[in-house]
Amino acid sequence: MKMNRRWGMAIDLDKCTGCGVCAMACAQENNMPVFEDDSDLPKRVQFLDLMKVTNDRDASYPDVEVCYIPKMCQQCEGNDPKNPKPPCVSVCPVVATDVGDDGVVSQVWSRCIGCRYCQASCPYEARAFNWWKPKYEGSFKNSLNPDVSIASRGTVVKCQFCSHIWKRERDKAAANGVLDINAVTYTPACVASCPTGAMVFGDLNDPNSELNQLLEKEKARKFRLVHTIDDKDEKTREKLMHMKQYPNPKVFYLTSKTWIKGIMKFK
Amino acid sequence: MDLIKKFINFLKTEFNSYSKNVRIALYILFFLTAGFLIFGIQILFWGLGYTDMSNVYPFGQWIIGDLGLVGLGGGAFTTGFLLYIFRNDKLEPLINSTVLIGFMCYLFTLVFLVFDIGQPLRAWFGYTYPNWGPGLMPISMLTEVVWCLTLYFMILCVELVPVVLKHKVLEAIPVLKYIGHYLHRLMWIFAAGGTFLSFFHQGSLGGGMWDIMYGKASWFRAHHIYFFVVIIGATAGGTAFMTLCAYIAGKVMKKEVVPKETFHSIAKVSGVMITVYFLARVIDVGLMASKWTPLFDRSFTGMMGGYYGYWMLAVEFILLIAAISMLLVKKNREKEKTFLIGICSAAGALFLNKMFVVLNGSSVPNFPWKSFAAYNPTIQEWFIFLGGLSVMVLIYMWFAKYTPLFPHAAGHGHDDKEHAAE
Repeated sequence: MKMNRRWGMAIDLDKCTGCGVCAMACAQENNMPVFEDDSDLPKRVQFLDLMKVTNDRDASYPDVEVCYIPKMCQQCEGNDPKNPKPPCVSVCPVVATDVGDDGVVSQVWSRCIGCRYCQASCPYEARAFNWWKPKYEGSFKNSLNPDVSIASRGTVVKCQFCSHIWKRERDKAAANGVLDINAVTYTPACVASCPTGAMVFGDLNDPNSELNQLLEKEKARKFRLVHTIDDKDEKTREKLMHMKQYPNPKVFYLTSKTWIKGIMKFK
Repeated sequence: MDLIKKFINFLKTEFNSYSKNVRIALYILFFLTAGFLIFGIQILFWGLGYTDMSNVYPFGQWIIGDLGLVGLGGGAFTTGFLLYIFRNDKLEPLINSTVLIGFMCYLFTLVFLVFDIGQPLRAWFGYTYPNWGPGLMPISMLTEVVWCLTLYFMILCVELVPVVLKHKVLEAIPVLKYIGHYLHRLMWIFAAGGTFLSFFHQGSLGGGMWDIMYGKASWFRAHHIYFFVVIIGATAGGTAFMTLCAYIAGKVMKKEVVPKETFHSIAKVSGVMITVYFLARVIDVGLMASKWTPLFDRSFTGMMGGYYGYWMLAVEFILLIAAISMLLVKKNREKEKTFLIGICSAAGALFLNKMFVVLNGSSVPNFPWKSFAAYNPTIQEWFIFLGGLSVMVLIYMWFAKYTPLFPHAAGHGHDDKEHAAE
């Protein structure tokens, strides 16, 4: 049976309070290890990172504005969504990472040799490497999610849009006699946990999905992380895409603040 | 017990047979080698957390070492090709040393890779689950590198066999002597195969691996010009490095290990290739600045900040110009001092280019609100890197003493005991 879904996400930064519950839920759902010194940010293992940005670093109240941008794997698809080519997939020497027919860029921890080539090629710094052996102290072990495998030390891990939840939902549906995989929908942990409803998850192939309707309605507020090609006219875009692949991520952001869109461009 | 005593005595006499300066060098080399072993165990058993690499800076010193060693080891395939295919017989006295250095460069590239990958026990996945795809060409540049490196390393092993078989103990065995002799006569086949393989992985490890990363403005090139630029670079810097090693060996051994004509001949090749490389690099940098980085809506100058910016590029080009003026002009090439400056500059320019690729490329920020990343290798990284190089020097010294690494020097036999030992 052919998969017709193409999962995507929208994050409304106007609604986001930066509370960090999405990052917590993600960490718990995906068995993120906790280290003694997690203030060592560049070595921290996490799928979802809250990036703090400001309109002017030197400004003070009331001129200063701050925004938290939840950033996970942007599930890039390259120029052609029908033949997805994320920047990280083709580089892997051992096919540890792949893109599924639902558009999700997956990673098999137990296949990864830890060369970190995918990490170097990711334009969003969305992949994490297990620099230390993952540790789960004390009662942490009791709360591990059996649907997500524990990564070994020395492997690259990443957000997979909680695709194990989709598999769980698919099994539930199959047990109830529903064998159509396209009938199965799900919600990733970060989206389910968001207290303000800032995150919307859905099928980009379905014009009636909540996600597509939101993106259609909010064209003016919509943008993607440092994806400046979106601002060009159709003709220039085509010309540029003829010259190179662009990440073309499936995670969209919404904001009414011009400074947030402004800082997406390099000076 | 007696045997151990004898062995210790043998080591003592062996060590004392060297001159004072060499003994001091040996102390340093053994110290670094000990560090290599200790910190190597630490990294292999406790992980890469002890390095200064991070999620924003995933490639570090060992990758620079890999790129540098493969690039400089590229002199082996160039020299082999010139000698066995182009029949430039002037290079014959240099070939044994060249093959040994090439072998060690590739061996230690693989050793550094074992430390660098997070799961060394899964390294064989590259052979059993390669990202090859349905076509003839592999999909991942790293798959291509893994296969080409392995095959070429095997060729270098075969090329090294005749040199090892020349050891006085082995040569006394008739079968081994004949094997060595006939392998030597078949060497042109291996040289041709090696050139073919080396051509590809020089291009893919040094160039293709970086220029296909379409998400990264610091590395991406829309055409595979860089693939060929680094091949030219390897032939230029690699031959200079091979010459430099033989030159240093001659100075240490206080002998004429290689005739002057050999040095002049290979320096000429290096000079011509470094000129082509210089032009290719100018075009490459020009295209980066004018065509490829604007595709990302970024400026080339904007990516030259941080610790690894303009100065590296400037020094690289200064070294290239120095190498051209010293090696391309016959008068300079044949004067010892300028010849030495030329080969050092050529090898240095190539190594600096590899440093620039890794250091600058990794430090360039991916988000406009982030600053340039910095990288400060830890003691573990330094010891494994320098210790690896020390082991290479020790192996080279062993070969220089016990095998006819320089047949020319053996033929001319200034056999003063102390210096022969060196």
